[in-house]
Amino acid sequence: MQRSYPEQELHICVAMHFLSNNNFCHSPILALELKWLSCVLLDQAKEAMEQGEVPVGCLMVYREQIVGQGRNEVNETKNATRHAEMVAIDQVLDWCQRHSEKTTDVFEHTTLYVTVEPCIMCAAALRLLKIPLVIYGCRNDRFGGCGSVLNIATDYLPNTGTPFECIGGYRAEEAVEMLKTFYKQENPNAPKSKARKKD
Amino acid sequence: MAVSNDKMPPSQDDEYVLTGPRCKRRRTSDSECFSWEILPVLSEEECQGVELLPAYAAPILCKKETSRLVKEVSAIYPLPGLQHLKRVRACKEEPRQHDVEILICLASPLQKEESALSLRELLPTVKAECSSLGEPFVVQVPARPPLTRPQFRESSAHWPTSFHENKLVTKALDGQLFSWEEKNRMQKYMDQAIQAAKCGAAIGMEAVGAVVVNSSTGAVIAVGHDCRQGCNPLLHASIVGIDLVSHAQGGGVYNYDIYPDCKFFLSPNNNECAEIDAVDSPAGTHPTAVGLPYICTGFDLYVTREPCTMCAMALLHSRIQRVFYGTPSPDGALGSKYRIHSRRDLNHHFDVFRGILEDQCQELGNECHQVS
Repeated sequence: MQRSYPEQELHICVAMHFLSNNNFCHSPILALELKWLSCVLLDQAKEAMEQGEVPVGCLMVYREQIVGQGRNEVNETKNATRHAEMVAIDQVLDWCQRHSEKTTDVFEHTTLYVTVEPCIMCAAALRLLKIPLVIYGCRNDRFGGCGSVLNIATDYLPNTGTPFECIGGYRAEEAVEMLKTFYKQENPNAPKSKARKKD
Repeated sequence: MAVSNDKMPPSQDDEYVLTGPRCKRRRTSDSECFSWEILPVLSEEECQGVELLPAYAAPILCKKETSRLVKEVSAIYPLPGLQHLKRVRACKEEPRQHDVEILICLASPLQKEESALSLRELLPTVKAECSSLGEPFVVQVPARPPLTRPQFRESSAHWPTSFHENKLVTKALDGQLFSWEEKNRMQKYMDQAIQAAKCGAAIGMEAVGAVVVNSSTGAVIAVGHDCRQGCNPLLHASIVGIDLVSHAQGGGVYNYDIYPDCKFFLSPNNNECAEIDAVDSPAGTHPTAVGLPYICTGFDLYVTREPCTMCAMALLHSRIQRVFYGTPSPDGALGSKYRIHSRRDLNHHFDVFRGILEDQCQELGNECHQVS
């Protein structure tokens, strides 16, 4: 499940995925659309960075439209669970309410685009909502839930929604670059290390 | 008994619960046992059985030669990564033909007793081996150092090892870690979580409740129940608990107006900080700079059933200190399916205990299934 693709190959791969899943109502996403999506996606991550949040951005796409987008809001809300994915999920729930759509139907046909591999918590949330496909940028070696630390995406968890497919490596360099820039300027909201607490 | 009086600061209220009028009756029943047992949920490494490796050992025929033999054999066959293994063991089996046996080296995993190598093949350079060493034989030795007393006991049955005992783990495994008073307090918190779960179940939610407690003051910070049948299917009890703590710290995401049994309490201390925070600092200022803890640092969670993977990781992100849950759950991530709290590759670790009011917590689940 953990694969890395050069960009050209990824476009084909995503298109194949849509074609092979007849239950999807999308037409295959074209390279052009993917490019547009990724611009919006990276803008989300940049906005997070500008707000002093870990630069991660995500989009949720249902029937060729963006029904949710999010970036990290951990510091703003003083709630460590406000990762980009969780924020976007709330937006999709709002969207469903506004459009009188059944949330289960929407999530089961929604693709998540995210700049960094979802963490263990988010991966479990995506499973619970039965989101079928996740396309992400770079790996998340610290918390990754799609193979880097645990594989929540495919592990046997009969009481936790359904497994989902992951495609990694999409515009990974840009996502990594942003994370590097962010961590260079030390997160001012991270808890102080125990060693420093003493003085 | 619920600690839910808004007018009284929770810390005082808690003290009241502990030393109030019911105290006398409690004292007389000091020796009274609880109907439940609290068990630590240890790491994978601490729980697993003892893995064994085949190795060669030989009897030392002349006891006086032991130290020389240990030196020589260790020089030829150092045991890298197996420092926990003792080089010699005393022979206790009767009838005893020799007093001590020496560990020579690891054998290949497929080594069978019949095809064991001879002494000459194993130690061609050791002097006078014939008179001081007997014919080698294959033994099973523990592959890893024992981490707990049960592992130490099992390991020692095969070959002696060193054991750096973690006294707290031993105490926890023996059920001796917490005093009667502590257990009594834990029972009250869990009972509060059970009451919250019942309130949630009464409005159609899954019967799961959670209570967040400041472990140093004993003050209840938040009480909540599962809200997943409402507008957000991810609002599990632990997620609600975490968000209520955020609210208590001047943040927060969801509105609980329609769930009166999900509530948070501002301790006088917290209140002050929240005000300073609101006045002085724009978003993103260091919360600890104004004395506010970072999210759930120093807090304990009492939850009626084992958190799922999402909730367990949410608690880890929130830097929870300890989690106490009543009953395990099928895909649970704090002991059943994963042990997220003790993974070395994650950046925060916390202690997990299970079993407080287990029967009552389990009953909640059963009642819930009957409803649905």
